[in-house]
Amino acid sequence: MQEKLTSLEEAIAPICDGDVVALQIMATYMAPMALVRELIRQNKKDLGLVVLIGGIAVDWLAKAGVINRLIGAAVTMEQFGLCQQYRKAVEQGRIRVEEISESVLNARLGAGARGLPFLTTRGAIGTDLMKENSDNMKMLDDPFGGMPVMACRALVPDFALIHAHRADRYGNIQYEPGARWPDLAIMPKAAKHVVVTVEEIVDSEVLRRHPERTVLPGFKVDAVVEVPNGAHPTSMYPNYGYDTQFHREWTSVSRDDEKATEFIDKYIRSPASQSEYLELIGSEERLQYLQEWEGKR
Amino acid sequence: MSLDWENSPASTDYSVEELVICVLTEQFNNGEQATNGMGSFIPVAAFMLAKKTHAPDLIWLASSIGLECRPERIPASTLEAPLWRDSIMYLEQYSDFWDLVSNNWITKFCVGAAQLDQYGNANNSVIGSDYHRPKVRLPGTAGLADLCSLNKKLYYWNLNHSPRTLVEKVDFISGAGYLDGGDARERLGLGDGPQLVVTNLAVMDFHPDSKRMRLKSVHPGNTVEEVQQATGFELLIPEEGVPNTKAPTQAQISLIRDVIDPDGMRNK
Repeated sequence: MQEKLTSLEEAIAPICDGDVVALQIMATYMAPMALVRELIRQNKKDLGLVVLIGGIAVDWLAKAGVINRLIGAAVTMEQFGLCQQYRKAVEQGRIRVEEISESVLNARLGAGARGLPFLTTRGAIGTDLMKENSDNMKMLDDPFGGMPVMACRALVPDFALIHAHRADRYGNIQYEPGARWPDLAIMPKAAKHVVVTVEEIVDSEVLRRHPERTVLPGFKVDAVVEVPNGAHPTSMYPNYGYDTQFHREWTSVSRDDEKATEFIDKYIRSPASQSEYLELIGSEERLQYLQEWEGKR
Repeated sequence: MSLDWENSPASTDYSVEELVICVLTEQFNNGEQATNGMGSFIPVAAFMLAKKTHAPDLIWLASSIGLECRPERIPASTLEAPLWRDSIMYLEQYSDFWDLVSNNWITKFCVGAAQLDQYGNANNSVIGSDYHRPKVRLPGTAGLADLCSLNKKLYYWNLNHSPRTLVEKVDFISGAGYLDGGDARERLGLGDGPQLVVTNLAVMDFHPDSKRMRLKSVHPGNTVEEVQQATGFELLIPEEGVPNTKAPTQAQISLIRDVIDPDGMRNK
């Protein structure tokens, strides 16, 4: 079997400027943040980003000039508010938004995963989303005589980036039971290449004890990297919660271009590794606090 | 806590958030399935209150994920695991949730919108006329566009009733209401639609034929004229007059303050 274990640098290096990159993310929930930081460190440019509900990652990528288009259903940091750098970039025309609804995104990625030209939905009919996405959303008569449906064109991202609980060296990916989002269920299957960070690399024998928890076979994965706390500052249920203090630190500077640049330099460009990054955010004590989220917040 | 909520007297000490919660809670009943979206402290409080009073058998699906969850109190986020604690099932979004929604096994959705127009069309996408160079980029439609077109009964809340949020025509339709009014929605094959709009000033519904927004009740302390003035279009005013919105009961208020939301997330 082919080994897929590699470093953050090597995992992200094959992504070319202009590629379409699908990112697992749901506001403050479970995003591959170490991979996001690596995209910024490698100065990737003109990426198209696919998200269900983008959060702080989108704000950082917008600020760092990594993305110039976004295909997704929403961008928000939930209780921490709008992503101000993303918002500014869209309002100034630096990021072009192809806004689609959740069922349309599912249909587009689902078609991509299955090699179909399109899948259909009855969601979003009658909205202005159709007008702004007429290349990818078209009304279609039901060949069986029912009401018309909306055809959603296949979306095949060049890369999907995800973070998971564990994997073996061969890239078999496993999650703890919990709420799962469509970006997990379908994004990696639709994408040409898949890059995964995990909390821990384990022996394949460990995965075999719970095959029902394996969600992606190793042959569909290009690269896997062990990155403990790799979702920080987003949450990784049940391991750790989202980091309220860190989100607030970002939102306290994110309207100010200069201070936002300082933040990105300090937390993203300067640390040479995940452990240096974790030391910056407060190391053991802070991480332990985040691990105790359940029942508290 | 055992409270005689059925015979509880009217409260005279309540906030506008609490009034909105109490109006909404009456819309959700035993045997129905309802869900909330992002940033949803008000709907979550309304569902939790319904389950503790008149609708213990309301089926609440938290944020499209946690079925019949049992959070002790409203947590700091309505889109994170502490909300869907103690669920009986996690709906996997791609397969479970959209299957059940599309076939109308989930019937009611309570949601906010940055702009709503006189026909109940909703905008959470952009403010301004140029979609690609908007004056304000809003979060985006998320699942609203889908739920609006998939035969849901929609209950909107808005704590900032003003001519900027209740507009004659939304800048962008991120969620279909009654479109141009009349039978426009029906002609596209879209069932149900917006039922109620509950704001900090009043409660509105929609005329059964024209589908125009209609004043249903005015919150105590406000007048019909004040509500009309704060609205960016002409509201339909029933000839028989507009009653005051029913005040919350003392039991409802103490449940909200002491049990459901002691941390005051409803005010954030």
